[in-house]
Amino acid sequence: MFTLPQKDLSAPTTCLGPTCMQDLGSSHGDDLEGECSRKLDQKLPELLGVGDPAILSSDTSYLSSRGRMIKWFWDSAEEGYRTYHMDEYDEDKNPSGIINLGVSENKLCSDLLSWRLSQSDMQRVEPSLLQYADWRGHLFLREEVAKFLSFYCKSPAPLRPENVVVLNGGASLFSALATVLCEAREAFLIPTPYYGAITQHVCLYGNVRLAYVYLDSEVTGLDTRPFQLTVEKLETALREAHSEGVKVKGLILINPQNPLGDIYSPEELQEYLVFAKRHKLHVIVDEVYMLSVFEESVGYRSVLSLERLPDPQRTHVMWATSKDFGMSGLRFGTLYTENQDVATAVASLCRYHGLSGLVQYQMAQLLRDRDWINQVYLPENHARLKAAHTYVSEELRALGIPFLSRGAGFFIWVDLRKYLPKGTFEEEMLLWRRFLDNKVLLSFGKAFECKEPGWFRFVFSDQAHRLCLGMQRVRQVLAGKSQVAEDPPPSQSQEPSDQRR
Amino acid sequence: MSHWSDTLPVPSGQRRDQVPRDHSIYPQLLEITLHLRQAMREHFVQLTSRQGLSLEERRHTQAIREKEALLSCLIRRMINLLQSEAASDLELQVPLPSEDSRGDVRYGHRDQLSGQSDPVPQLSDCEAAFVSRDLSNRGIDISVFYQSSFQDYNAYQKDKYHKDKNTLGFINLGTSENKLCMDLMTERLQERDMNCIEDALLQYPDWRGQPFLREEVARFLTYYCRAPTRLDPENVVVLNGCCSVFSALAMVLCDPGEAFLVPAPFYGGFAFSSRLYAKVELIPVYLESEVTVTNTQPFQLTVDKLEEALLEARREGKKVRGLVLINPQNPVGDIYSPDSLMKYLEFAKRYNLHVIIDEIYMLSVFDESITFHSVLSMKSLPDRNRTHVIWGTSKDFGISGFRFGALYTHNKEVVSAVSAFGYLHSISGIVQHKLCQLLHNTEWIDKVYLPTNCCRLREAHKYITAKLKALEIPFHNSSSGLYVWINLKKYLDPCTFEEERLLYCRFLDNKLLLSRGKAYMCKEPGWFCLIFADELPRLKLAMRRFCDVLQEQKEALIVKQLEDAMRE
Repeated sequence: MFTLPQKDLSAPTTCLGPTCMQDLGSSHGDDLEGECSRKLDQKLPELLGVGDPAILSSDTSYLSSRGRMIKWFWDSAEEGYRTYHMDEYDEDKNPSGIINLGVSENKLCSDLLSWRLSQSDMQRVEPSLLQYADWRGHLFLREEVAKFLSFYCKSPAPLRPENVVVLNGGASLFSALATVLCEAREAFLIPTPYYGAITQHVCLYGNVRLAYVYLDSEVTGLDTRPFQLTVEKLETALREAHSEGVKVKGLILINPQNPLGDIYSPEELQEYLVFAKRHKLHVIVDEVYMLSVFEESVGYRSVLSLERLPDPQRTHVMWATSKDFGMSGLRFGTLYTENQDVATAVASLCRYHGLSGLVQYQMAQLLRDRDWINQVYLPENHARLKAAHTYVSEELRALGIPFLSRGAGFFIWVDLRKYLPKGTFEEEMLLWRRFLDNKVLLSFGKAFECKEPGWFRFVFSDQAHRLCLGMQRVRQVLAGKSQVAEDPPPSQSQEPSDQRR
Repeated sequence: MSHWSDTLPVPSGQRRDQVPRDHSIYPQLLEITLHLRQAMREHFVQLTSRQGLSLEERRHTQAIREKEALLSCLIRRMINLLQSEAASDLELQVPLPSEDSRGDVRYGHRDQLSGQSDPVPQLSDCEAAFVSRDLSNRGIDISVFYQSSFQDYNAYQKDKYHKDKNTLGFINLGTSENKLCMDLMTERLQERDMNCIEDALLQYPDWRGQPFLREEVARFLTYYCRAPTRLDPENVVVLNGCCSVFSALAMVLCDPGEAFLVPAPFYGGFAFSSRLYAKVELIPVYLESEVTVTNTQPFQLTVDKLEEALLEARREGKKVRGLVLINPQNPVGDIYSPDSLMKYLEFAKRYNLHVIIDEIYMLSVFDESITFHSVLSMKSLPDRNRTHVIWGTSKDFGISGFRFGALYTHNKEVVSAVSAFGYLHSISGIVQHKLCQLLHNTEWIDKVYLPTNCCRLREAHKYITAKLKALEIPFHNSSSGLYVWINLKKYLDPCTFEEERLLYCRFLDNKLLLSRGKAYMCKEPGWFCLIFADELPRLKLAMRRFCDVLQEQKEALIVKQLEDAMRE
């Protein structure tokens, strides 16, 4: 009686062919969980296998079949939490604990933010903030968001509050958009490597898949830089998805890109948008790092700054305070779309993704304070990001390690391929585990669905002393690694072997 | 502004076959839309020209004009779009949602309209085709379902009554909110301990809820639910509201198309939470107001009725995975005795059903002679791995805008699976801190907040029930919750859901928002839910409007009866 068949979550093998398995294998909610979650990979084929393995039979579980799949998502996350949280670094209490260079959080400006959020204008409590409100978000906040985005995205015309929907974070927005734009088991195109958590966001409720547009580090043919996205690659990926019977409804672009730290030029952006229009695809542009471009010369342009969007009704822009204001725990995200049907449909789900009225008020106060943002916060934040970035990149240069980074985001995309003799994902995993054993948490390329084994993401937006210690531990591992590499790999390793490739 | 529902944008599945499968639909749509624009313009001219010149009325006119501008803009965009589409050779797709997928909650007017040939159903189709260009079928379903049920509420949000600024605005006695203790809460939330900005609160949280908050929730529930042993913080999951908890539970306990039993009438919000994302059906266990030999109290829930509903559902091939209980009951306001609760739980165990118990009104029991027994107070639960309790601060603390709901379950599997939704239903760290402080201060809750709240609820309840008695309106006398369940059958002739809807619209025309029985899946037409937890001046004005409408309705009925008599 419903549109979703009963087994749709337990048997997605009909969807994306091989990528389908990878989807779930790399799934995790936050970078941290994903990167620490590999132990559960082994369970996955079992979960997805044809037939009805014991683990899925209802006798052994209280959960529905989709519930068991959802639980699997969480358990893999749990694994990660345990590893890191059991032994978190603390300068005084646990100096030998794990340094976290894996989770993309900006910890450089918490002093500024704490100060700002403690000001008296933030403490307002009034009845309307405590009661049910417009599920799209309080009007005062949507107005502020529209003004804020008009200014910082440099939109040619003022953006309108009725095109804004406010939710509790970007994850919720992906979930809601996936649900209202796609049917179950339909897909979005996404260039890889990409922020892997999106897999879970679109899958949990929406049961929507990602179809990968694989990018290469090699500069060949028409590419002018590593991991360059081209329309040709988009076309190929779309064709492949179609040939596998997967219906693609949209394209997800992250700009500035995560984990590459790269930026799409306005011309490139325009090409991708025209491609999408040609195929009637929605485009979700995630600009969550738009104010974290710390190299001015890069010349970042928001999609909202374009004079004319090829298909404004199918272009949906996301932004949040998690990254640009270093407040991932605050849970504020926003959608900007000219498509009122999409805005209304997303708002219909906001009942489940609502943000406390008090926080909405605080966000409005924060976004309104243009003086503080322009004169204090952004210059300071950019200076600190730049200093941290310079430190890590110089460390890497000294080690002779190639890396990519163009001056946006909190991370450097590091090429450790020369430390993998056979160049396999098993080795990537082992190297990652060595880093963790030496108490430094990083993110490995597989978690971003990178095609080539050996890439790692280093998050540098942390305090100098932690960063120094983290890099020191990285150096130790890499120095040791070159010796160990001659030896046969430890046979008693408990690591899951990556059987999917 | 009358009879909103008549122009509801409901795509009618039954008409699917009549939609032409070629491109000629766009010129047709264009024509209808132009027609619609004309009708709308005329309507607004009427609306704005009949207003007087007092300040309030002028303000009101201003509001109407703004709305007109907005609507014109939308329609203009539609027309532009249709003009371009009418010319283009786009492949037409009209993926209307299937009739089945929205069969569980239905509003009377839809069935009625789909058979007629006036422009209204055509408009519905046009809207659907328009919408479906960009949204998925389920997206349309979600959007339409939401709008059809919340458009009146949204109208209220945009035109709220204010004693100085908008005296002609809507008064809302239809949304279950407690507005009686805003003074206490505002004061409490402004105290120093509430404001804390720590790095940990600004960074990625534990998605089940911050450990400090889960500990506090466990302690709080142990105390207020009188749990025989200390509740375990590891069994707590904290999300942004009880509807989120319910939605997540529906996802992990049921596969799409499976079902829960719910005694009806029941809180309509569950119909959303089970349907929007989870696609889980709620099967009503119909209760009756008549007192008979087997039904010793009005709306009494018995194991027989549960069993009957379950077997009936199974006969129809439905897979029932659980039972949903709301205690104190919403909207009837009854409280389940420990004995009956035990019977329901044993019934559920017998059939391997999960039980979701929503105790969101547990501290809003305002009759001191009545003791509420939480399911968590039971010495032993018949099937503790299938018993899941929901509580939140929205009702008991009157802070629905805070977005906080908690799950307590012994089942570790369920804890893990629901936790995965933490990403999508998370609460701001800053708010988690405030909630923790709020729940922690038992002294203030016990000595200040709860006594005041109960006293004010009692007063408001007394005022409303006295009014109802004076109007000779029967109501279900309860001692908990924020609402009275009233019977307006005698104002309906014939006593149908359509008449119930018309009466509801009449209230709406008089700027009074109520909830009608149909929204609670009540079996008998004529019941309404009246939320009384509002300040006295507003309540008084609301009751004045209420009386006016009923007077009007009474007169209309007399005229109708006279006409009928004359015809005979």
